[in-house]
Amino acid sequence: MNERGEPAPERTSTSGRDALPEEQQKILASTIRFQWVSIVVLVVSILAVAIVAGSSQAMKVAWLEDSMSLLPPIAFLVAARRIRKPSSREFPYGHHRSIGVAHVVAAASLLAMGAFLVIDSTMTLVKVERPPVGLIVLFGHGIWAGWLMIGVMVVTSIPPVFIGRRKMKLAESLHDKVLYADADMNKANWTSALATIIGVLGIGVGLWWADSIAAIVVSISILHDGVKNLRASIGGLTDGRARTFDGKEPHPLTEKVEEVARSTAWVADAVGRVRDEGHVFHVEMFVVPVEGAVVTGQHCEDLRTALSEVEWKIHDVVIAPVAEIPAEQAFRAD
Amino acid sequence: MTASGSRRGFLLLAGSCAVLLAGCSDALPRDSQGALRRATGGTLYVGASENAPWTEFDSPGSVSGTEADLIEGYAARIGASIHWETAAMSDLATMMTDNELDLIIGGLTADTPWSDKISPTRPYQESRGVDGSTEKMVIGVRPGENALQVSLERFLAEEKGEL
Repeated sequence: MNERGEPAPERTSTSGRDALPEEQQKILASTIRFQWVSIVVLVVSILAVAIVAGSSQAMKVAWLEDSMSLLPPIAFLVAARRIRKPSSREFPYGHHRSIGVAHVVAAASLLAMGAFLVIDSTMTLVKVERPPVGLIVLFGHGIWAGWLMIGVMVVTSIPPVFIGRRKMKLAESLHDKVLYADADMNKANWTSALATIIGVLGIGVGLWWADSIAAIVVSISILHDGVKNLRASIGGLTDGRARTFDGKEPHPLTEKVEEVARSTAWVADAVGRVRDEGHVFHVEMFVVPVEGAVVTGQHCEDLRTALSEVEWKIHDVVIAPVAEIPAEQAFRAD
Repeated sequence: MTASGSRRGFLLLAGSCAVLLAGCSDALPRDSQGALRRATGGTLYVGASENAPWTEFDSPGSVSGTEADLIEGYAARIGASIHWETAAMSDLATMMTDNELDLIIGGLTADTPWSDKISPTRPYQESRGVDGSTEKMVIGVRPGENALQVSLERFLAEEKGEL
């Protein structure tokens, strides 16, 4: 009961992690654990690549790419901590948007690093920098350091593929776009490793420019990741139409909640406005009551509950009864 | 039976990988400009700047000192005769950029400021620097001549007793 003696609606006070149903909370908890595992694996790879990198530009870029791939998991963990906070007078929409902010920060750093590396790698080509790669003595045997680089690249390229696949599944169940971007980068990691290996083999056969070309290829892939992620994250923050976790199509829930609203007895017409807050959706439903219907607070409350029950993602619902659908605020499906 | 069988299989696999790797390690790396092939049985172009005890110029046209001895040992190994160029380190670095030198000696250390123009070898010896710190002594190789670099580094490691 609230102070006016009305029954407190079940879901209004919840936000943060409580906005997620039990199953999603469990997935979130296991994702957080898995992100820590992936950070440890990445740090080990970064150290291994740093130790053997030597003078190869391709190895340097591969090392920086591995380091950059730490950003999305860190952004995810920071955001996951932030969304625990409940909504308040100060933050009436809760803190789910921190997912989007984390995404923008990670994307902007990727873009900046990618741009820098494209220029840096092109300069090695322009200045005809021939990468020296010499001998290394391991357990009393002298081997060419290039073989060690290739070995490290092969070994470190395998775990991210599996980590990426696992994260992709988690991203779908959590509807988490940072996690999606993260998984996408991990999954594509092996292609950069392959380019780097070809670059090092190029040095081996005396083609010095192969190293620079491989470095440019990998830099462009970092730049591409940056552009793709920045576009997706800005779309989310500027309240674009809610889309599926991979951003590929409009989210089907928008039409589903409209259907539920229209099928309510006292509703003649309904058009919704749905935005993605990160994990959860915020719905504003404009409803036109049927001729002569008396719309009470309880009617609206019941409809609100009905919409919230469509799926866990429908988190924050506002019902706006109107005489006619405002053409400048609500837009029908094409 | 199965355990020993799979173990034998593993050893066979590891062994063939090692053989393959060893086979390849002879083939790679190659030089980007073929310095080692040219120098083997031919002429090795070496620049020296005076820096006793590593390099000393006693009489015109002859270079002595511990690094000069090392280079002579290496040249003998690959059957090369040495063409000496004596100059200041900055001039030698420029000559190396212009592909006129294969190697440079003169008490270079692993943290040499010339490393963008001269590729340092693995340290072949440690010594005391002027400030009492440990210096890692290296020889300069033309960057990208990786066959020459690996061949010289192998020679230096053998001299040091690492191989």
